[in-house]
Amino acid sequence: MRKVLLLFVLILTVAGTFALWLTSGEGFIDPKEMTMMGGLALIIVFAVFLGIRRIKSLRRSEPPEDEMSKRILKRTAATSYYLSLYTWLALMFFSDTTELEISSFIGLGILIMAIEFALAWVYHTYFAKINE
Amino acid sequence: MNNRIKELRARDGLTQDDLAKKVGVRRETIVFLEKGRYNPSLKLAHDVAKTFGMTIEEVFLLEMK
Repeated sequence: MRKVLLLFVLILTVAGTFALWLTSGEGFIDPKEMTMMGGLALIIVFAVFLGIRRIKSLRRSEPPEDEMSKRILKRTAATSYYLSLYTWLALMFFSDTTELEISSFIGLGILIMAIEFALAWVYHTYFAKINE
Repeated sequence: MNNRIKELRARDGLTQDDLAKKVGVRRETIVFLEKGRYNPSLKLAHDVAKTFGMTIEEVFLLEMK
């Protein structure tokens, strides 16, 4: 229950920041910002999905995590770590040519890492062979 | 690795939810086990076999390729 609450606090914090970002603009959102907002929205949707799964497990009196979900999480962590290395390498390569501020650039990297984690989790849960 | 979980569950009149609760895992894990998408740990295999009153090798069938 504690973990579920923590997850929803995290979702609310991210969603709140997202809402603040949307409302603080001058009305015009450039394509770069739009892409980052899309990524952030994807992460929020993913976190809500995980939260709902956990609540359903709690209602069924199931353990929130078991050996299979832990194995999936380990593989997801390994895959997303591997991908993030190449992400930062690519970002470093493009850092000289971009007009983004350094803080936005780091934010973009972290956002990409979060998206990679979500995608890796979906891949390992629904498409990959867990047996191997 | 194949297994007879679905067949034995039907024999004992257990739902996936019941079996999951008995062995202390999520229902999703039982679904994956039945589909052969997940090979259980030795402890889980033991717990599942014990639930059906059988040995591990009677429930889980190892295919040698």
